[in-house]
Amino acid sequence: MLLNRFSFAVWMRNATVWRRLAGPSLTTNVLDPLIFLFAFGYGLGAVMGTVNGIDYLSFVVPGMMCYAAMFASSFESTISTYARFSMQHTWEAILATPVRLGELMLGEMSWAATKGIFSACCVIVVGSVWGGVGSISGALLSIPVLALGAVCFACCGLVATAHAKSWDIFAYYFTFWVTPSFMFSGTFFEVTRFPWFIQAFAWVLPTTHVIAVVRPLTAGLPIELLTIAGHLAYIAALAIVAFTVARLRFSKRLYG
Amino acid sequence: MDGTAADMTPVIEVEALEKRYGDVHAVRGVSFSIMRGTCVGLLGPNGAGKTTTMRMILALAHPTAGRLRLFGQSPEALGRTMRERIGLVPQEDNLDPDLSVRQNLEVYGRYFGLPAATLAERVPKLLDFMQLTERGDAKVMQLSGGMKRRLIVARSLIADPELIVLDEPTTGLDPQARVLIWRRLLDLRREGKTLLLTTHYMDEAQRLCDRIIIIDGGKVLDEGTPEELIGRHVKGHVFEIPKPLPESFDEEGLESTDIGDAMLYYVSDPLEVTRRLPPHATFSRRDANLEDVFLRLTGHTLRQGA
Repeated sequence: MLLNRFSFAVWMRNATVWRRLAGPSLTTNVLDPLIFLFAFGYGLGAVMGTVNGIDYLSFVVPGMMCYAAMFASSFESTISTYARFSMQHTWEAILATPVRLGELMLGEMSWAATKGIFSACCVIVVGSVWGGVGSISGALLSIPVLALGAVCFACCGLVATAHAKSWDIFAYYFTFWVTPSFMFSGTFFEVTRFPWFIQAFAWVLPTTHVIAVVRPLTAGLPIELLTIAGHLAYIAALAIVAFTVARLRFSKRLYG
Repeated sequence: MDGTAADMTPVIEVEALEKRYGDVHAVRGVSFSIMRGTCVGLLGPNGAGKTTTMRMILALAHPTAGRLRLFGQSPEALGRTMRERIGLVPQEDNLDPDLSVRQNLEVYGRYFGLPAATLAERVPKLLDFMQLTERGDAKVMQLSGGMKRRLIVARSLIADPELIVLDEPTTGLDPQARVLIWRRLLDLRREGKTLLLTTHYMDEAQRLCDRIIIIDGGKVLDEGTPEELIGRHVKGHVFEIPKPLPESFDEEGLESTDIGDAMLYYVSDPLEVTRRLPPHATFSRRDANLEDVFLRLTGHTLRQGA
């Protein structure tokens, strides 16, 4: 089993570094959604009124929660992890200890997911104070769903990192994966507004599935258990595939 | 050594070890063994295959062919415990730049699964051993090159390893910093640790190592104690005669090495050179050392990429 004291030691390493930066990190994680909610709430909200029977604020807050989880875990598992893998030689140092590659990756991945969950929780707090959370219990129920989503985003980020030979690849990763996840997966508009081929692409993105579960829960709308199970299964399957691909690639790069 | 079975089992045993990276044949059949409690130096020019050999010993690279045994067992059989018994001082600084000096040791200790109580006891001792106690809270980036190196040595000792592998431990350091590291390595050897080190500094090898293995082109050229190697490859006296050589000087029958602006001649009897020299010729004489052995065995021309 990979989830053990060795992968926890890697998680702890990142947590130790983060503790020093907790202040600025908390500030940006609270301020970012505040700015978004203010701008979109006033700007788009005034134009859009209600979406599918809920006011635009209640529509956009769950989208923001997912976006926050996705962005934070994607950033950590790509740019930050690549710095430790390549520039700082941190991985090289760790792999000379009893920690194995799978454990190291799991430590990095779970840390990236932790940051994603943290960011999403900040949005829940800001959103509920702003009046955009219809059901507090639904929002709390969303946290494990967001956690699974954050794990999936982190695993996808590791795939990019495993293939990165320089920083350039991350520009593509953000342009072709993170930005579409931001714009097409239902964060700000219903997925159904897009032409069919964008919709088809949107359902490949894990964010779309996370939002499809988190939005009804947080807004207090009804949702079928089977629908939830279907979305979660897709997210989990993608996470496992991505982690496996990343692991094979890292193994080949590190050990030839 | 008292000759018990455990003592007689080599800590490292490599046999016909090979490594290819694509077309590059970095190590071409290296064999040697290292006994417990000894310090062995792996010497060779840049690109000789030293680091690759070390990486294979540490299971950081898979051998293409050959046999490798650590503590009398195959690396597969040892699994994770192998890493717990070996401390590594890598050639390049890979200290964690995001952490303080003390945190570098604590975090690294956790990678070995060491409990907090063990770390609380060991970290201050190691800081003291490497004279870093006062810099415990400093960031790695604020350290001098010598301090960074000392911290890397301290870090390699966190799990109290039996074997310490050091890849160029003092390259780029000033003399004071080197002497401090040497003293600590000698302390470790006295405690019964086994040390394997690579170096470019012959004085370092001569001072620290019981045995020396000279490798070049991915092969072992010779091995032995420093005295054995000197006796085998260079005669007792070395004469250095600056160029241009005196016109009347006849080097027929002398063993020599061209070092650019001068020639080196190796002889057992000083008269062999002095009788060939005209009066008032410029020359210097010294005892042959490991550096001469190294130059004789590995040549003296700079290699590509060196």
